[in-house]
Amino acid sequence: MSNEHRASNADRNGIVMPQPTAWPITLAFGFMLLMAGLVTNAAVSVLGAILMVAGCVGWFRDVLPHEKHVVIPCEIVEAVPAQTQRAQVKVFDLAPEHARAFLPITYYPISAGIKGGLAGSVAMAVLAVAYGVIKQGSIWYPINLLSAAIYSQSIQFGTESLKTFHLNSFLVACVIHLITSLLVGLLYGAMLPMIPRRPILLGGIIAPILWSGLLYTALGIINPLLDKKIDWLWFVISQFGFGIVAGLVVSRQDKVFTQQNIPFALRAGIEVPGAMRERIGGSSPDEDGRR
Amino acid sequence: MSSETMALSPHAVETQSLAERLHGWATTVDHKRIGVMYIGFALIFLVIGGIEAIIMRIQLALPNNDFVSPQVFNRMFTMHGTTMIFFVAMPIMFGFGNYTVPLLVGTRDMAFPRLNAFSFWLTAFGALLMYFSFVGGFGLYGAGSAPDVGWFAYAPLTSKVFSPGHSSDFWSLGLIVSGFGSIGTSVNMITTIVCSRCPGMTLNKMPLFAWMNIVMSGMVLFAISPLTAAQIMISLDRYLGAHFFDTQAGGSAVIWMHFFWIFGHPEVYILIIPSFGFISEIVPVFSRKPIFGYPIMVGATVAIGFISFSVWAHHMFTVGMNSWGNTFFAITTMAVGVPTGIKIFNWLGTIWGGKIQFKTPMLFSLAFLFQFLIAGLTGIMLSSTPFNWQLSGSYFVVAHFHYVIVGGILFAVFGGFYYWYPKITGKMLSERLGKLHFWLFVIGFHLTFDFMHIPGLLGMPRRIYTYEAGRGWEIWNQIVSVGALFQGVAVLIFVFNMIWSYWKGKDAGCDPWDAWTLEWTTTSPPPEYNFATIPTVHSSRPLWDLKHPEDPDWKYE
Amino acid sequence: MSSTTLTPPLTPPPIETPWVLPSRGKVGMFSLIAAESAIFTIFVVAYVFYIGKSISGPTPREVLELPIFNTVCLLSSSLTIHFALGALKKGNRAVFTAFWALTIALGAIFLFGTAREWHHLIYDKGLTIQTNLFGTTYYSLVGLHAFHVTVGLFGLSLVLAFALLGWVKQEHYGRVDVLSLYWHFVDVVWIVVFFVVYVAGR
Repeated sequence: MSNEHRASNADRNGIVMPQPTAWPITLAFGFMLLMAGLVTNAAVSVLGAILMVAGCVGWFRDVLPHEKHVVIPCEIVEAVPAQTQRAQVKVFDLAPEHARAFLPITYYPISAGIKGGLAGSVAMAVLAVAYGVIKQGSIWYPINLLSAAIYSQSIQFGTESLKTFHLNSFLVACVIHLITSLLVGLLYGAMLPMIPRRPILLGGIIAPILWSGLLYTALGIINPLLDKKIDWLWFVISQFGFGIVAGLVVSRQDKVFTQQNIPFALRAGIEVPGAMRERIGGSSPDEDGRR
Repeated sequence: MSSETMALSPHAVETQSLAERLHGWATTVDHKRIGVMYIGFALIFLVIGGIEAIIMRIQLALPNNDFVSPQVFNRMFTMHGTTMIFFVAMPIMFGFGNYTVPLLVGTRDMAFPRLNAFSFWLTAFGALLMYFSFVGGFGLYGAGSAPDVGWFAYAPLTSKVFSPGHSSDFWSLGLIVSGFGSIGTSVNMITTIVCSRCPGMTLNKMPLFAWMNIVMSGMVLFAISPLTAAQIMISLDRYLGAHFFDTQAGGSAVIWMHFFWIFGHPEVYILIIPSFGFISEIVPVFSRKPIFGYPIMVGATVAIGFISFSVWAHHMFTVGMNSWGNTFFAITTMAVGVPTGIKIFNWLGTIWGGKIQFKTPMLFSLAFLFQFLIAGLTGIMLSSTPFNWQLSGSYFVVAHFHYVIVGGILFAVFGGFYYWYPKITGKMLSERLGKLHFWLFVIGFHLTFDFMHIPGLLGMPRRIYTYEAGRGWEIWNQIVSVGALFQGVAVLIFVFNMIWSYWKGKDAGCDPWDAWTLEWTTTSPPPEYNFATIPTVHSSRPLWDLKHPEDPDWKYE
Repeated sequence: MSSTTLTPPLTPPPIETPWVLPSRGKVGMFSLIAAESAIFTIFVVAYVFYIGKSISGPTPREVLELPIFNTVCLLSSSLTIHFALGALKKGNRAVFTAFWALTIALGAIFLFGTAREWHHLIYDKGLTIQTNLFGTTYYSLVGLHAFHVTVGLFGLSLVLAFALLGWVKQEHYGRVDVLSLYWHFVDVVWIVVFFVVYVAGR
């Protein structure tokens, strides 16, 4: 089979291609001169305008009434059958309903990341609020600090003001907390299967330590105002809380099979008769290909 | 055939004189030759822009240095930025797009071959016009004055008062000329991809590189046009005495920033999206697996295209917007990280479990993944408004965007060179030299741009001409400058490799990488008509289908 | 590891025939229109941003009059070009030429109207591009539009000349249609300019 080609639209002697032409370069050069005249001398612009007119007319006559062509001689040879040095394909046995797949065969569903992120966000919020109550005597303290990360009004609060409720700060902090938690949760869902051996150790403890360390060293320089108000021990503890809870929740979800070889229309939930035609016929071997 | 038709023999080329050959290149409408001209043009300017960078690094290597004068230093950073963005990065993307897209979608030429030539020449002449300012410009410091207003040319620096003479005009006029070229090529690219795909190539079977190019071209239409409009306004101000950016007459300097960055930020994505395309073509081939999550990749690209138009003011946090403005742009900026992160995971998913071949293109792609991730993370850091207030306009920002442009885009481009050079010339690039190039460049890159973050954190502002000793910046600047030399040497090796391999390299054959897309079905270099017969495809990996007729992809798509 | 080479080669399903893709001219023109509309957007944004920010007079309220007649002319030219194309599609070349000429006449009236308005503003009211921000934004936005009308008129006249020479035939419908897209775009831009400059801006 293979090189099934449509009938060539070339005539017997060759293939029709557009004829080379000097008018585009003339027109472009004219336009450049037109502009260059503005920084040099008006005469240059005049020359440019003349060239542009010539270029336009010449270009026009290239395409009207008929496009000019050249015929490139071409012996239509039989296409060389494509070859591969790797004709062998390594195949795993797979349950029949999963037509063909490539590694990774299974992964955590997106919902696992979302659940992990939400669970982690609750754990982190509990720890952060606990810090606020125990150390600062107000649950609003950590919330106001969080919003100060992007909401510039909050950064100007004094220590007392930080302990009271501010609607704007609260809303901004909620948005940051939820979005970041969801994103990091999704990240965990995508990453945990790739982390070798002890994913919770790496994802829940080591990564937060690295991240907090980086922030700790940088924040003193970048935002000393914010830095002074952060209790880094509790910061790290709440990061651990997030990492461990999110990691545990994610890893307890069931992995699902990837949908790599299901047609997009089907994945998008569109029911198209005939989209599954190959498999309805039952002729395809069910396999999982990997090279 | 009409009477204008004439026949050309393919063998005639070898017997032509130099003048005839030059004439052939100047008049060509062949997408492959235009693509090669784009790439060659970009490489020349890469060297020029690189020399400008090295001049700056020599100047900054020592405190209180006076290797060049302050005036020359201003010209260097202005021209370095402008050159690298407009005359290196964009043309090289257009060049690869021009060369490969018609091959990838299985057609014989771009949709508008003459417009293609016209657009290339506009870009080239725009660059010439701008560089003519080095001899013909007349500015604040007399004749021979290149533009010195910075690559984003904030008003009122460009007003007649602060920039007398013509040096700024060279900047805006050169960009207007080359901007029309970019728009022309984008129109052409979109039309080619939409209207010239070979039979069977539906949108969801199109190679990802073509997808990335159509998204990039769409973005060019909506990003370069505002820049052109703003340049027209500057010219109206300077020539006709209009008041767009004239604060004395009530005009606003800030609106120029908005106009510039509504171009400027999407521009970054205009450059990075084709780079994603390179990576999406290279990684599967050298992992011996199809791309993981094709529809998601397409969706993420389109999402990046849209979101990137709503983030521009994160360049302007220090200008003074209200809190909600800051918050909005901080959030959109973080949001653009989401589809980008999805892409990185899809590439990792592609590599995972594959039989990885560490050829040079793959090495550059792997380095891209790592470096682009870091560049994205510093980007997320900068999107936080208070953080940005502290570091905006510092070397931290310079390090961040060079990490994107060099560590991301340039690495992807080098990968693309090693991947497609065999197709373009018919010869393989030397793997030995390629690996030497790779490692030297990686070392130089990390020396320069990793350590460039630190003087930024220590408060070194960008664009300063020199600095005094004893601020703790010296050692970092020296490391950065040494790294720049490493990169310079690596690029020289690369250039040597290309020239040497062209004459002495191994023959590539049609399909040296055992790849799966249509460009590898034709000879290397391809004939003028690309395909003797227009191919027909049944899946997104047409060559896989041909190589494995017993287990083709189309059974499952 | 097992090899699958034992399975016999399979024949792929046929490609849907005929393989039809959108017309090049239209897609190219729509892309160009997208770029053009971005340029206009920036000028419109500049106009809107600077409404009421002029330090000195004259203000739009003092000098601008609603160009109703002009607007009617330009907008009706969209209709006439539509009729012209309808005639060409049916092969009625005489009707095509008549409507096409009418379109050009309407466009020319519009352009003449703009010229008269500018003459009036410059010589009677003393408003130039240098006078104030209103002058700057007004002349650049309306001027940019007038430039596009001029380019459009030039293209239309060329087709008219060909039509009078009898070169425009039914089979050229596609090409002429692409040109008409541009003309429609110019008209739509005028609606925006009209509302921004003459309604909201006053």
